[in-house]
Amino acid sequence: MVKPSAKSVFREGIIIALVGAVLAFAANALSPKGLNLKRNYFPGDDLATASPSPSGNQTTTNGLINVPVTEENIVARLKAKGLQPLGTSEVKKLFDDIRYQQSSLIFIDVRSDHEYEEGHIPGAHHFDYYYPQNDVGPVVAACQPAEQIVVYCGGGKCDASEQATLMLRDNAGIAANKLFLYTGGMTEWKEKNFPVETGPRNSGKLMDSSHGK
Amino acid sequence: MLGAAFLYMGIHKVLDPAEFLRLVRQYDLTNNSLILNTLAAALPWFEVFCGFLLVTGIAVRGAALVTLAMLLPFSLVVLKRAIAMASTQGLAFCAVQFDCGCGGGEIIICHKLIENCGLMLIGIWLLFCRPQKLALRYSLFGQA
Repeated sequence: MVKPSAKSVFREGIIIALVGAVLAFAANALSPKGLNLKRNYFPGDDLATASPSPSGNQTTTNGLINVPVTEENIVARLKAKGLQPLGTSEVKKLFDDIRYQQSSLIFIDVRSDHEYEEGHIPGAHHFDYYYPQNDVGPVVAACQPAEQIVVYCGGGKCDASEQATLMLRDNAGIAANKLFLYTGGMTEWKEKNFPVETGPRNSGKLMDSSHGK
Repeated sequence: MLGAAFLYMGIHKVLDPAEFLRLVRQYDLTNNSLILNTLAAALPWFEVFCGFLLVTGIAVRGAALVTLAMLLPFSLVVLKRAIAMASTQGLAFCAVQFDCGCGGGEIIICHKLIENCGLMLIGIWLLFCRPQKLALRYSLFGQA
């Protein structure tokens, strides 16, 4: 076996690391799915308060690691941040409310484009929280005249709705008392066999409810 | 094999960087959003680059060294999280299962750690083995 010079291997590694880093940053900048390095995607994590937890477990700043994901923990964490969580029954009542047809009450889906098109709450507005530049403008415009805004994502461990609500409140200037968060998200909505619209907003194409999820 | 693994894992992450960002965040490595975003944005492409070098046989030893430099700390971080989850949830260590952000969804942690040890051994072997005939340019600096 040829014994390599440690110095040359190390030098080679440094060159690869430098070239790799340059290419990586360039690729991220050019990719349509590239991340914005300067953006704080998780503004809720800056509030480093310990969320109350029934089990007494310690939480980290993002409140996610090592904490059992229960409805109680999620609601407690959201309320500690000044947010207004809603359960599925409350959200369904709002969905059936006449104000939803009049646009004084709106729903916002903050999942990816693909997930939204696969199925969303009928009539829900959409912007991808991680790539908001495409759609957030019209959504914020729809929020201005609305009296009540319900934001949701997938439910469970998905906290994009939480981060998006904080973004709407703190960056877009939407009044906090208008913003509500559907904690169960699309997962619970589908489990209850509630109406699910596919394709673009107001397409009128409803998913067959017998499919369940 | 090491190159193919890194190519596969890197491409998987490159296709959904937002998901990788969410997964990296779970490790609670930093509160600094710039560092977190940089890790999530650059690491997948970096993996693809190193995988490409290994598969094509370019600067193999250097690429192996860099992949080892990525594998070791990442494996330690995954191990630390698995120990914390086992302790919090009262599970046996090898029963812990989660999406480590490696590419490929949820994994049983013992399997992932054994896999990573195997990849590290391959990396170490590549540091010392003789140049292969099929390699395009085994060493950047001629005969090593």
